Amino acid sequence: MVSSRYGTKVKWAAMISLLPLVIILILIRFYPISIAIWKSFTNWDGLYQSDWVGLSNYIEFIKNGPFLKILRNTVILLLNVPLQVFFGLLIALLLYERVLGWRFFRAVIYTPQIISAVIIGYLFKIFFGFRGPVNIILRGIGLDSMAIEWFGNPYTALMVIVISITWYGIGWQAIVMLGGMSTVDPSILEAALLDGANYWQRAFRVMFPMILRVIEFGVIASGVWTLTQLFPFIHVMTRGGPGYETTTLDYMIYIKSFGFSFGINYGMACAIAVILLFFIISITSFEMMISRRIEVKGLK
Amino acid sequence: MIVQRRYDPKRVMVFIILSIIVVSFIYPLYFMLINSFKTRTEYYINPFSLPKEGLQINNYITMISQFRLLNLFKNTLIISLGTVILLLIIGILSSYVFAKIPLKGKMIIFLAALMTMFVPSQVTIIPLYVGFSKVGLVNTYFSVILAYLALFLPEAILLMTANFKSIPDELLEAAEIDGCNYFQKIWYVVIPMGRNAIFLAIIFYFIMSWNDLFTPMILLTKMEKRTVMVALAALMGRYSGSPTFQFAGLLLSAIPALIVYFIFQKRIIQGMSFGAIK
Repeated sequence: MVSSRYGTKVKWAAMISLLPLVIILILIRFYPISIAIWKSFTNWDGLYQSDWVGLSNYIEFIKNGPFLKILRNTVILLLNVPLQVFFGLLIALLLYERVLGWRFFRAVIYTPQIISAVIIGYLFKIFFGFRGPVNIILRGIGLDSMAIEWFGNPYTALMVIVISITWYGIGWQAIVMLGGMSTVDPSILEAALLDGANYWQRAFRVMFPMILRVIEFGVIASGVWTLTQLFPFIHVMTRGGPGYETTTLDYMIYIKSFGFSFGINYGMACAIAVILLFFIISITSFEMMISRRIEVKGLK
Repeated sequence: MIVQRRYDPKRVMVFIILSIIVVSFIYPLYFMLINSFKTRTEYYINPFSLPKEGLQINNYITMISQFRLLNLFKNTLIISLGTVILLLIIGILSSYVFAKIPLKGKMIIFLAALMTMFVPSQVTIIPLYVGFSKVGLVNTYFSVILAYLALFLPEAILLMTANFKSIPDELLEAAEIDGCNYFQKIWYVVIPMGRNAIFLAIIFYFIMSWNDLFTPMILLTKMEKRTVMVALAALMGRYSGSPTFQFAGLLLSAIPALIVYFIFQKRIIQGMSFGAIK
C-alpha cells in the first residue's frame, strides 16, 4: 500500500474511526486511573470532603491495616498457579496423543471457563459445606475427623478457594499449552524418538523447552488473573471473612468502598487500588523482561 | 508422542486417564442436575442417588417465578448484546486503521490501549461510579456497557488487528478500483475476510458479559435493573438451607452461556489456541 495514494479523505476517515476508542480510553480508563491515584493521597468520601493527607492512607493500611494478612492470603492463593500449569501441561500432553474422542475431552475440560465464577463459587461452597457431599464421603470412608467446617478456618477456606480456581483454570491452561505444542514440528519429536529418547525424555527434554515461552505466558497470565479476578469467588464463598482472613487486595478495595455500611473510606480504597496497580505493573514488566531475555537467547 | 500403531497399550492408557479426568469435570454438573430435581429431604438422605420420588420441577418453578428470572435474563441480554454490538463497531473500525492505514501517531493509541489491558475494574470503579452518578448514568444499562467496552476493547483490538493484517492488500486495492469507498471496503472485504476473529470476539465477549459480577453489582443498584449473576450472588445466600433449590438456580443461570459454548465450542477452542501463541 503506497501511502501517497491516500488522500486527506482517508486520513479523516481513519481518524474518525479511532475517535470512539480514544474517547472511551480517556474517559473510562485513563481519567479514572489518574483520579484513583490522586485521591489515594486524600481523605475522599466521594462527595465534598477531599483534603490532602499525604501518604497516611498507605501508612495506615500497611502498618495498622490487614496488609500482612492480605499478603499471606495472596501468597497462599497464588498456589493455584503451579497447580494449574502442572495439570494443564499434563492434560495437554495427553490430548496431544489425539486418542479416540480427544476433541470431546478437550471441549469438556474447557467447560468451567464458560461457567460464571459466581456459579462455580456456590458449587464449591455447597460441596465443601458442613453437610455437603465432600464431608459425606469423608465420613463414609471412616475419616470422620477430616469432615470439618471447611469455611470455619482461614487455611482450609483458602484451600477450598485454591481448589475451585484451579478447577476453573486447568482447561484454559490445557488449551493454551496444547496450542503451543501443536506449533512444534513433529519431525523434531520423531528425531528424538529415533535417537532412543523415551516418552518422558521427549516430553521434558524436547517438548517443554520448545514451548517455554507459552508456559511462561500461562504462568504470568494466571498470576495476574489471581491478583485481579478473584472477586466473585471470594464474594460468594467467604466474603473475605472471617474477619479479613480470606481477603485479597481486589476484595479489600470493594470492602473499603461499597462493601459494608461501616468503615467506608474512598481515599483508602484508592490507595489499595494503587498498591494493586503497582503489583500488576511489576509482574507484567517482569514478564516482558524475561520474554526479551528468552528471545535474545533464542537468537544465539 | 507420535502416532505409531493404533491400538498400542500406551494409547489405551491415555484414553483411560483422560476419561477419568473428564468425569471429574462433568460430575459436579451432573450432581447439580440430579439434585435440582429432588426435594430437600431426599437430598439430605442421599445426595448421590438419582431422584427416586419422581422429578420435582418445583425448584425450577419457584426459581423462575420468585427470582423473576426472565426479567433478569432480559437485563443481562440487553447488556451483553449492547456490549458486543458496540465492541464490534468500535473494534473493527479501529483495528482496520491499526492493521492497514498508514496514519501518523496510531501506534501511540495502540500502545495506550494495550497498557490498560491488565488494569482490573476494581482500580477504576470508584472514580467511575462517582463520575457516572454525577451525569446520571448509574442504574442505566449503558453505564455497564461503557465499562465493559473499556475493559474488553484492548484485547479485542489486539485479536482483530492481528487477523486483519493477514488480509492481502491486493484485495483491498481491487475493491477500491471497483469503486468502494473507505467504509465500503471494511464492509465488503475486511469483515468477510476477518470473520474468524470477529466471530470469536462475539462469542467470547458475550459470555464474559453474561458471567460478570463486579461491574453490574456496583453500577446497577436497583432491583429491577440487576443482571443474573448479581441477583444470584445476592439471593443464593438466603437459601443456604435448601441446596436443591440453589442447584436449580445455578443451573438455570449457567444455561445460556453453556448453550452458546456447545454450539460454537470448536471455534472458541481454535481461537483460544491460536490467539495465545502470539
